[in-house]
Amino acid sequence: MLKTLIRRELLNNLMTFRFAAVLLITLLLVVANTAVLIQDYEQRLARYNAAVKTHSEELRQAKIYSKMFLFVDRAPNPLSIFNVGLDKRLGNVIGIFHQFVPTLWDTFMHGTDNPFIAFFSSIDIVFIFEVVLSLMGLIFAYDAIAGERERGTLRLVLAQPVRRGHILLAKYISAMACLLVPLLLSLLFAMLLLIRSIPLSSADFLRIGGIVVASFAYLSLFYLIGLLISVLTHRTGTALMLAMFVWGFLILVYPNLIRAVVPPGADIQTRKKTAANQLQQILDEYGRERQKFLESEGIAGETSEFSKTFELYTDVYVDTERLDLYIENEMANISPDFERHVPLAKRYFDFVEPLIIRTAEKSWRIRQQALDDIFVRQAELDRILLRLSPVGMYDAATQAWAGTDLLGIRDFFEASRRYRKVIIDYFYAKRAFASRQWFVADRGAVEWNTLPEFTFERGDVSTNAQRALPDLFLLIIGNLVLFMCILLIFTKREV
Amino acid sequence: MIWHITKREIYDNLNSLRFALTTLLLLALMLTNAVVYLREHPTRTQAYHDATAEAVEKLKARSTNLYRLATEGPGRLYKVHSPLRFCAAGDEAFLSRYIRGENYFSDIANARPLWRLTYPQQTPNIHNIRPDFTTLDWAFIVGYVLSFVAILFTFNSVSGELQRGTLRLTLANPIPRHAVLIGKFSGTFISINIPFAIAVLMNLFLISTSDAVQLTAESWERLGILYVVAILYMCLFMALGILISAVVRESGVSLVVLLLIWVSFVIFMPNTLASIGSRTSVPMAYMEFWEEGNRLGNEVRKAYQDKYGNTQTAPSVHVRAEYITAEAEQNERFNETYLNQQIKQGKRARVIPRISPAAIVQRLFESFAGTGVERHLQFIENAQRYAREYREFVIDTDRADTESLHAVGIPEGMSQKSVSIEAIPMFKDTLSLTRDFNAAAIDFLLLTLFLIALLSGAYLAFVRIEI
Repeated sequence: MLKTLIRRELLNNLMTFRFAAVLLITLLLVVANTAVLIQDYEQRLARYNAAVKTHSEELRQAKIYSKMFLFVDRAPNPLSIFNVGLDKRLGNVIGIFHQFVPTLWDTFMHGTDNPFIAFFSSIDIVFIFEVVLSLMGLIFAYDAIAGERERGTLRLVLAQPVRRGHILLAKYISAMACLLVPLLLSLLFAMLLLIRSIPLSSADFLRIGGIVVASFAYLSLFYLIGLLISVLTHRTGTALMLAMFVWGFLILVYPNLIRAVVPPGADIQTRKKTAANQLQQILDEYGRERQKFLESEGIAGETSEFSKTFELYTDVYVDTERLDLYIENEMANISPDFERHVPLAKRYFDFVEPLIIRTAEKSWRIRQQALDDIFVRQAELDRILLRLSPVGMYDAATQAWAGTDLLGIRDFFEASRRYRKVIIDYFYAKRAFASRQWFVADRGAVEWNTLPEFTFERGDVSTNAQRALPDLFLLIIGNLVLFMCILLIFTKREV
Repeated sequence: MIWHITKREIYDNLNSLRFALTTLLLLALMLTNAVVYLREHPTRTQAYHDATAEAVEKLKARSTNLYRLATEGPGRLYKVHSPLRFCAAGDEAFLSRYIRGENYFSDIANARPLWRLTYPQQTPNIHNIRPDFTTLDWAFIVGYVLSFVAILFTFNSVSGELQRGTLRLTLANPIPRHAVLIGKFSGTFISINIPFAIAVLMNLFLISTSDAVQLTAESWERLGILYVVAILYMCLFMALGILISAVVRESGVSLVVLLLIWVSFVIFMPNTLASIGSRTSVPMAYMEFWEEGNRLGNEVRKAYQDKYGNTQTAPSVHVRAEYITAEAEQNERFNETYLNQQIKQGKRARVIPRISPAAIVQRLFESFAGTGVERHLQFIENAQRYAREYREFVIDTDRADTESLHAVGIPEGMSQKSVSIEAIPMFKDTLSLTRDFNAAAIDFLLLTLFLIALLSGAYLAFVRIEI
């Protein structure tokens, strides 16, 4: 009996104009936008490659260790075509210095970051699905029960020995089967375009599989919302209006309403000031330790002959605007009695540079904490509230699968932080701080060829899965709850 | 008789669910808009006043010495906020609030050039990790919500009556068809306008009674224009709804068609087409920009060194002044080139999306609210004019000093006397209405053209329809 019901519903759905129209528009939107997105990705990739080349050339120009000019670049994520997330927005060049540990906010862009076109949001595949799939789900569902009730066919069907649950199940299965056609077909076309121009790894295919599962759950959720409306109303006209306004609210209004309603987070300026005070303390501590060393060596501060010979000018600043603490030693002005000071200089840098490294790491912790408090908390609150609409869950899940969410980007920053440690270890191993090449290149420049290379691998699929699963579960739980509600209402309701 | 049909249409709508939901939605959105604006506006104006006051203070501190005044200038130049930001926030989140004015110490000439503007900046978006948002401004409420509502009110205006058979009854009376159409149109028009006008009035009531905002006569004029634009746009979607409803003849199908058209034109087209349009003129990458800038700077430097050797032994302060001015001018020119490339891309990105009425309305709202790109370009022009004026002032003041050697930019070659603060030109950013009209004229025309085309389409479809 269930089979007969499913067949009937399938035919009913497939032979409609709305099915053809929805199929056509989904295909058109997805294919057109994928072509645009691929071009965009290729441009970003070309810029990334150019930047990597320039940066490796710039590194070779430095002659002494202390002037190392090392930058790492973040490659564009090919899955940003599905959900761009933060991939295009956050900076993609990070400086690697021994005296500074970068946070998410100490970056810049190697490509163009044109403010005059920033207003246009880039339309990725998930965004198209967010809008079109939800609309499709509702359009297919609003008259599923209410329509039959109006036409009187529901009575006819129920006169047969069928269970009400089976009717619902048949409707759900057949509608989802129909709705999957545009979803899968458009994805297929997009994939065909993709693999022609962008090499994807097998892990990427698994990630895309994850995105498809999330899309399915999202689509199903909206179908069930429509079905619930249909079960609750008696007339198709009312069901349609309710469905449309629910759509407008959940997709158009609610996500944008959040920012308006959520009050701006903790007072940014006060938080920055406290952090700046802490940074100042760290800086003072650095100054004291440096002073202690200078005294133990019998150097009378900045006016001594040694300091003048080396132009030992320490440029230090604490900036509240960006929360920076940056220490730099300007040095080596070769003068006649330069050679006399070299042994002392070697001792000095061997002491002071590790001290600077420790100071930088201490200050990083404070800056990181403060910036998290100021920016990340706000963004997380937004995300939590956004999850009250299925759009939020779907967006978060697909971003996690694509690796373009905050955690995915943070992985890259962690990698660059580890790389900085590797570089510092390399300096220690080479005894660079105590070497002559730290401050002067008169007996040969530094050989950079043995410097460890930076490599970054995106986390494996299980990491993506771990991050995506909570939101996927939310979507699935939403589905189950809605289905139970519909079943309950439908079985108790009079026809 | 037209009035009769109109009345019937209005009564029908007033009792409907869609009317209630529309009223609720529009009111909620407009009130949120006003509340948020009133929450944010005072801090924004305060920040602007603080910044401009600081600039005056800086000038005062520097006015004791013409050389300092000449090289350090007033610092940053700030953009004045439009009081109508609640109508369209536009690009304001991405465009900088100020233009930096600074210059670098040139070690080769051992001096600083005159104060100049430096533009290229990264967008503030580089630090933004919050989810994507659109501001809930009037442009959003009209562009997205009002057009959506217009479709929901008209999708069954003809097909619904056809299905129920009431159209036959109406046409059985001795009335011409166009009268029926006009009656229906005006009826629907009034029924959507009731909640919209109420929402707008509530919004304006909240904003105008607040002490934080001063709306001038010009602001009200602009608000009036914005209302007219909103109405035109609404009519456009109503005409589309009637057209499709008459052609398709079945309510369910006509809604699906309308929704798909709406989704493509309002949500996707403006962004996708902008992305395609921006591809036609891509500015050089930020890194290339820095490298090219350095290369050009080195060229000027090399030409100078070839001629005069090392600077310390340069013949006179005038030669050094000449060099430093040449370097600064080259730098400024190059910065402007980059800025112009960015602007060009921004303009290109906005050309093709004009086939979507939603993009046109967004632009019109930005133009008349005094926000967005057009306004920002106006600000840049104001700043550039001011920078020229400022430099002329410095040079003229220096000329007036007989003890000075008139070597601009060189400490020992310039007047070091103090300047009266009243004489120094101050930067005042202004908004101009006539310019907005010029920028908006073509958009206005396009919108009207679309409207006329759709109205005549709807008319023809309705007159030809078989019952």
